[in-house]
Amino acid sequence: MSSPSAHDESISRRSFLGGATTAGAVALSGLKLSQAAGAEPATHPGNEPLPPTWFEGPDAGIPKLGLRWAFSARVFFADRVMINTMDSPAGRGYTSVGGGDIWGPRLQGRVLPHSGADYYKTTFTTYYMLQAADGALIFIHNRGTMRRFAGPYERGKPLLPPPAPPAKQDTVYTRFRATPVFTAPLGPHDWMNRTVFVANSVRQANPDHTVFTYYEVL
Amino acid sequence: MRDFVVPDTNTRIVGSVELEYAFKLTAHYDPPQESHTPRGTFRYQDIVSGEMSGERVTAAVYPDSGGQYDTVRADRIRDVDAHFMLKTDNGEWIYMEHVGYRRTDGYYRAIAYVETDLKGAYEWMNNTTFVVTAKESADQREVVFYYYIAN
Repeated sequence: MSSPSAHDESISRRSFLGGATTAGAVALSGLKLSQAAGAEPATHPGNEPLPPTWFEGPDAGIPKLGLRWAFSARVFFADRVMINTMDSPAGRGYTSVGGGDIWGPRLQGRVLPHSGADYYKTTFTTYYMLQAADGALIFIHNRGTMRRFAGPYERGKPLLPPPAPPAKQDTVYTRFRATPVFTAPLGPHDWMNRTVFVANSVRQANPDHTVFTYYEVL
Repeated sequence: MRDFVVPDTNTRIVGSVELEYAFKLTAHYDPPQESHTPRGTFRYQDIVSGEMSGERVTAAVYPDSGGQYDTVRADRIRDVDAHFMLKTDNGEWIYMEHVGYRRTDGYYRAIAYVETDLKGAYEWMNNTTFVVTAKESADQREVVFYYYIAN
């Protein structure tokens, strides 16, 4: 698709950015094999549906709200750039999406390589493309929130603030949630155009990536 | 397109999301005003008043601070886009944004993005994702929103 000169330019841009990228991203940019859309990676834990979980309020007049696992995605990031610094009011980050894969009961496929990025300000704001196993292109606009607590959430217990430094931070829990809005073509993926989602997000190292577990709000 | 291969990593991570009920908001609106646009039927509704109540928050909608700026699509589903302000019982401001869908089958769900005073009593609402389910009256002049925290 891209001309040789455009390709060369992207290589040189990546070399230029090498100092700013993580070790994982550098390792990824050297990979040359492509994964066909819809290819079933051997490492996936399965696409079997899970039963929904229902949540309720303190009295019966409050409508219940259900969550059902829709699919998961691993997103591998590449370039990491910052305009100004994040502690400046103008701080804007750019973290490009290298690629990834998608599995689960309601969507399988891949993250379209080099199709967008996280252009975060105070929290992340990503725009990129997914490609379903049938080839359909799905646009994702994902907004996120992040907050740190002393420990993970347990039902019925309040979340407490993390201990102030210099106290040890190794048990600090980061609640990292994502809320995507999808634009999918008419056809089998149209349900994504009329469903609210919430995701659990976990950042992983070696190589640097994030696992998003998407739930449909019932 | 440049090539990319998914590296081999541990995929056995299923992160959970637990919802925790937080508060409700009973909001009152003027009748919707609709206009035809290239994107569909634009539906503006002024928010007149409202009361937010829950274990950790008591607030009132700041009158005429915004409302619904929805779009009714060709498939009759409403893209929900709401912006308005609230004032808490101790005088602090809350900015509220809703993004979601209101379908013809009674499904009215949204994500609420909330911003509050960093030094205020309601700072806990910042950087928190709220999942919302809503009930609309037959004349669409009253909507009760129920907010759950996505923990």
